[in-house]
Amino acid sequence: MTLSDLLAACEATAVVAPDAQVSVSRAYTSDLLSDVMAHAPEESVLITIQNHLNTVAVATLVGCRAILICHGRAIPEEMAAAARSEQVAILTTPINQFEASNRIGSCLTTQGHARVHSVAV
Amino acid sequence: MRVFIPLPYDRIMRFDLHIHSCLSPCASLEMSPQAIARRAREVGLDGIALCDHNSARNAPAFAEVCAQAGLAALHGMEIATSEEVHLTTLFDTVEAALLMSDWVYTALPERLNQPEVFGDQAVVNADDTINAFEPRMLSTPTRWRLCEVVAESHRRGGLCIAAHADRPSFSVHSQLGVLAGDEGFDALEWTIHANRNACRKQLGDWPGLRGSDAHTLEAIGTVWNEATLSAFSVQAIQDALKAGGVRLFPA
Repeated sequence: MTLSDLLAACEATAVVAPDAQVSVSRAYTSDLLSDVMAHAPEESVLITIQNHLNTVAVATLVGCRAILICHGRAIPEEMAAAARSEQVAILTTPINQFEASNRIGSCLTTQGHARVHSVAV
Repeated sequence: MRVFIPLPYDRIMRFDLHIHSCLSPCASLEMSPQAIARRAREVGLDGIALCDHNSARNAPAFAEVCAQAGLAALHGMEIATSEEVHLTTLFDTVEAALLMSDWVYTALPERLNQPEVFGDQAVVNADDTINAFEPRMLSTPTRWRLCEVVAESHRRGGLCIAAHADRPSFSVHSQLGVLAGDEGFDALEWTIHANRNACRKQLGDWPGLRGSDAHTLEAIGTVWNEATLSAFSVQAIQDALKAGGVRLFPA
């Protein structure tokens, strides 16, 4: 699915969107960045409430293409700046991680992509 | 009121900067200031610091008891940031710790503690009698971001340490994965279980401290630090950390 699909599915707003046509084929849900670092797949969207600069660093490290910050949490300026420099998309949504995972999972399944990786915290 | 005990000459001090009292809901009720001080003396500590979760309300009793027991003391709290990272922040005076504590309270959720679920939060007097029970829920993250807590601690003249940095929960490692090196901590604190070489890869080279994070009396004295200090003060400890002059036990 593309960034535009993600935005539509999750009623999200793009804070940093280097490329609206960038595509994600997987998703990972976690708020612990040590866990993201160990388990998140490449070419994925990270679904989280961890609105910290390091989320961008870890996303870059593992090859996540987009970060979806849930529950309306604000994006600190240094986080947005890092995402612009690393070319990682950041989206915000008022919905929670479960709802976002559910909607993104449905889209990925419909499009025949890999499963959503979910971890409770 | 400055309550640390001035040292007549530079000497090696043995200290632990992370001890909880009965104000922390998860700590044993036996953790009264008197009991903590007694145990600290028994295990040969010279200096200790009180770090209850998100509150310094037991600092006045702790300071009085430490002074009576001939123990050097620092005063502070263990703050849970919005990222759910635990940071300890320590001050030379009770007053500074209480002011920091007020700042932390402004960012606590409006929730009341449920003692039957989370445990009692006893505010005590120096004679170990219970003065009050803290009604606010302390076992919860504040709205302050990590960078705000570090900056505020330093602005107020305190130490700011990343607590139990190797722990699989509520640590810089678990919550943030990696460190950039510019977060501004005075030190990373290691638990007794830490494999510091393994952690260095992800967290980088930082001055280190052992911290017992004692929630029970038995935990006091399981780990400690030693440094030659001119005083048991924020400045002297900061200087020793910067100079690499703190030895950790176990190493």
